[in-house]
Order: sequence, then C-alpha cells, then structure tokens
Amino acid sequence: MMALISWIEGSALNLWILNTQWVWPVMEILHFIGLSLLLGGLLIVDLRLIGCFRKINIEAVQTLLPLAVSGFLINFATGIVFFLGDPMRYVLNVGFQLKMVLIGLAGMNMLWFIKTIQPSTTQWAPNRAPSGSARATGLISLALWFGVLLLGRLIPYVGSG
Amino acid sequence: MIFFEWLESSFLAVWVGESLWGYPIMLSAHAVGLSIVVGMAVVVDLRLLNAFSAIRIDSLGGLFKLGGLGFVINACSGFALFSSQATEFIESTAFLLKISIIIVAVFISALLYAHLEKSRLHGEDNTVPSRTKILAWTSITVWAGAVITGRLVAYF
Repeated sequence: MMALISWIEGSALNLWILNTQWVWPVMEILHFIGLSLLLGGLLIVDLRLIGCFRKINIEAVQTLLPLAVSGFLINFATGIVFFLGDPMRYVLNVGFQLKMVLIGLAGMNMLWFIKTIQPSTTQWAPNRAPSGSARATGLISLALWFGVLLLGRLIPYVGSG
Repeated sequence: MIFFEWLESSFLAVWVGESLWGYPIMLSAHAVGLSIVVGMAVVVDLRLLNAFSAIRIDSLGGLFKLGGLGFVINACSGFALFSSQATEFIESTAFLLKISIIIVAVFISALLYAHLEKSRLHGEDNTVPSRTKILAWTSITVWAGAVITGRLVAYF
C-alpha cells in the first residue's frame, strides 16, 4: 500500500490535481450530484421494497436502478480523483476506511437483492405488502448508503491514524 | 447587521460553531437533506421528460412529499450552519446566489406539484404537455445550480 502511495505522490496526475485550482471544487460538485442521483434513486427503490410508495409498481420502480448506478459511477470516478490528489490523507483516515467497508457491504447487499429478491418481484401482486426479506434488504441498503454518505461527509472531521 | 451579530452570538450559533460535533452534525444533516431534495426533484423531472416511463405519473405525489421532508431538513440544518457565521455568509456572493437560486427552485417545484395535481395526468394518459416539460427542465437546471453554488460557498 505504501509503495502505491509513494508512486502516486509526486506523479504528474497527482501534481495536476493538487496544483490546478478548479479541479478539486469541480470534482466536489460532481461528487454531490452523483450522490443525489445514487441516493435519490435508491431511496425510492428501497422504500418501495420496505413497503412505502405502493402506488408505484414494483417492476416500474426498478427502472430507477440505472440512475442510481450512474450516480455511483460518477462518484467512483470523482472519488478516484480525490484519492489520487491526496492518497495518504485518505488511507490513514478512519472515516474513509469505514466508508469503503460500508460500500463493500452495500455491494454485497445489492448482489443478494439481485439473486434472491429481484427475480420474485415479477410475481408481486400490485399493492401487496412486501415479504420480510424484501423489507430487510431495503432497510439494510438504506442504512448502509446513508452510512456511506455520513462517513464521507465526516472525513474532514475524524482523525487520521 | 445588528440582527446577524445577535444571531451569531445566539446559543444555537455558539453550539454549532464551537462545540466539537455541532458543525459536522449539521453539515451531515445538510448532505442528507440535499440528496433527498435533489434526488426526488431529478427523478420527478426526468419522469416528466419521459424517462422511467413505466412509472405512472399519478404515482409521483409521494416523491414530492419526501422531497419536501428533505427540504425541511435542509432549511433547519442550513439555518443552524448560517447562524454560526451569519455576518460572513450574508456578505458572501456565492451564498446569496445560492439562496436566490433555491427560492426560484422551490417556486418551480411548487408550481410543478400544483400543475400535476390540477392537470390530472392520470391513468393511462402518459403524454406530458410541453409546458410541463419546460418546467421540468427548469427545475433540473435550478436544483443543479443550487448544488453548484452551495459547494462554492466554501470557496468564495
């Protein structure tokens, strides 16, 4: 890890990110826009899995997933720029470390959803109360993603190392 | 100015500005609210622009309400954050621009909501009038503008 960091630090890309005035604020703006797309889309899908918004058809609501994925990709890309700009700060930061763990867990929860919950949604009768496991999956997803948001926002405020 | 000086010395402002967790808690709440407000606005607007067409337009009402909740979170957390640096913020161009844009954005969203309630784009009729589409485009633009200027408050 330290070899990777010392390779990044001082590289042309690292210096460009650090020394070009507009890069950091523009990436931050894009990171907030990506966040809104990711959480906006997921909030609706997850709340529907939990049993809210039953007026919205369960299969129709899943057409919002590509919006959430595009938000994630924007944030993955801009996040890499932040990391390349100041790798040591992030590697040592407890907020960042936990945030990455939660993103991993959220990814696993997503795989669980795709494997076990999603195939059954075609059988859901309109307005029926969702199953316990569907509710749990939605709730866990929301908890993890809002955790990711909070930890990200707290990176500047929690200690490093 | 006297009002803003008073606000800055209020209990809330001192707690936000000087306690260990006051500022980060309010910033976190503000980020949560942002994602809800902008997330709901974008989904509703894109739907009116014919994306996600499997979602019926008459089922969007709940999303407006959730967006409203996000707005309340951000009005409260935003006021708390403002109070801690009131005399500086009130002279910040980025901040004043952000507040102006948000006033316009709320107005447009309220207009869209009223429009959807009244026009009853109901049932199988999924065609959206071009007037509504113009409103939806405007809404996306101004909410994005609010995010952009909001972030720039930290720089200007």
